Amino acid sequence: MEKILSIHGISKKYGRIQAVNGLFIEIYKGQVFGLLGPNGSGKTTTLSILLDLVRNDSGTFEWFGKPPSKESRKRIGSVIENPNFFPYLTAVKNLQIVADIKDKPYDDLDEVLQLTGLYDRRNDRFRTYSFGMKQRLAVASALLGNPDVLILDEPTNGLDPQGIAKMRELIKRVAEKGITIILASHLLDEVQKICSHVAVLSKGKKLFDGEVSDVLAISELLEIAADDMIQLEKAISMHPGFSSLVRSEDRWLVYFKGKIVPAEVNEFLHRQGIVLTHLSERKRTLEQHFLELLRDNS
Amino acid sequence: MMKLLKIEFKKILTYKVFWILMGLYFLFLILGILTSGFAINSMIDNINKNSPIPFPHITIFFFPDVWQNIAFFASIRYILIFPAIVIIILITNEFTFKTIRQNIVNGMSRQEFLLTKLQLIFVVALVITFIVTLGASFLGISNTGSIGFAIVVSKISFMAGFFIQILTFLIFAFFTGFLLRNTGLSIAIFTLYTLIIEPVFYFILKIPKLQPNNISQFLPVNSVIRIVEYPYFPVLKKLMGLNVQEQLSLLDCAVPLIYSAVMIAIVYRVLSRKDL
Repeated sequence: MEKILSIHGISKKYGRIQAVNGLFIEIYKGQVFGLLGPNGSGKTTTLSILLDLVRNDSGTFEWFGKPPSKESRKRIGSVIENPNFFPYLTAVKNLQIVADIKDKPYDDLDEVLQLTGLYDRRNDRFRTYSFGMKQRLAVASALLGNPDVLILDEPTNGLDPQGIAKMRELIKRVAEKGITIILASHLLDEVQKICSHVAVLSKGKKLFDGEVSDVLAISELLEIAADDMIQLEKAISMHPGFSSLVRSEDRWLVYFKGKIVPAEVNEFLHRQGIVLTHLSERKRTLEQHFLELLRDNS
Repeated sequence: MMKLLKIEFKKILTYKVFWILMGLYFLFLILGILTSGFAINSMIDNINKNSPIPFPHITIFFFPDVWQNIAFFASIRYILIFPAIVIIILITNEFTFKTIRQNIVNGMSRQEFLLTKLQLIFVVALVITFIVTLGASFLGISNTGSIGFAIVVSKISFMAGFFIQILTFLIFAFFTGFLLRNTGLSIAIFTLYTLIIEPVFYFILKIPKLQPNNISQFLPVNSVIRIVEYPYFPVLKKLMGLNVQEQLSLLDCAVPLIYSAVMIAIVYRVLSRKDL
């Protein structure tokens, strides 16, 4: 299978905040890949790095098997955050500028305008558009020139229910054409409905990834601590059900694949000579709630 | 090359602010030229009241001095500020509308983005120079008795000087807009600096008139302005037997060009490294 994107341990710090922390992801042709995580989990920063908007501190990534370049970006259509266009130009003029940059002809301008339902308003200035229309113009510009990959960052954010339904319908139609889609969302429901694959992010780290159906089966969360935290990390990562772990103050938050019994984990660690000073199933913060939702829906 | 310019032209073609400010530049330039002709002759009338031998009325728009005189008017800081504001608006717009991000995402490299703006500045400077040259030719032809090729081209180099003036001044404006990113703030600071802060500095540095190589000539905006010296004064100075600027000084042209090169280098560095 053709590899579209591979990310090798990219990291990015904003001042003291670690926005992305050693992220590894691989995306293959034809996947609808969801980046799922709460606000502030590093989704937008990751996408910004992949599109040369933000400089990563370390790590590398490859688009289409090559180091990133402007040429690779020309094959990618993206909608990042808010739609950014010249307010005093018409939709057509704005799209022409996009096509010029991408070295694409104006052939499919009408097509993308029709697909996004903006054809009748194509000669109106961007500033006269409603938010939903602006968002759809952003999608239209992303679809211009038949991209190989479509990147969508929170595509349904701020849309009314009807707009959300339209947008999801649109994404599905694009996916059917075989275009690889990378979609960042904090909405579990959205990822479940649209994506074939998913990576769950938290605090700039990947908790787990895989096919949506597999990943939804995972996720048990324990909070543990011992006197020697380094040794504890080593020991717990050898547990057969271990998925990943995150430091939370003076404790480890440990994610497991499949069902896990706290007593069994305790015994496993005890056998390795570790006495836990703390063991609990963590309370539901927003993030945990999110993860428990994942489990509940599987 | 042409592709990038084509993109820039799409951005300005239907942008009213661009055309209004450019129009204002030429409007004030024409007004300045009209009043100057009137002002200089009324000055002569004043001198004549106390002079036993009356000076004749003069025009300052004959070949070859018309080149220098028009170049001077066109580069007065009060009117040169208009195209500079245009450039500030065009660059800060990219940050305000976040279209710089969109351009990069769509497959423009950061270096290309800088190149696009520099090309635009170059073309704007070229077009303004062309229009001013055209106007000066028109004035020269209608005010010079016998026109010969030699006399017409003898001082036409001042038009090249004017091109350097407008080009470097626009690059200063671009530099300010790029670093500050905010339209209002950039215009305020650039205008304040050009029209008030630097003239005050210039005045302070000029006070000890002892050393002839005054460092005041190296103030950025002044280094641009001084490429082409006073307009109608060449005529008066000649009458009074003073020294007159006859040709461009290469050193004078070099100073703002060096400033521009440094500014472009800084923008390049910032653009290459910074998150957008």
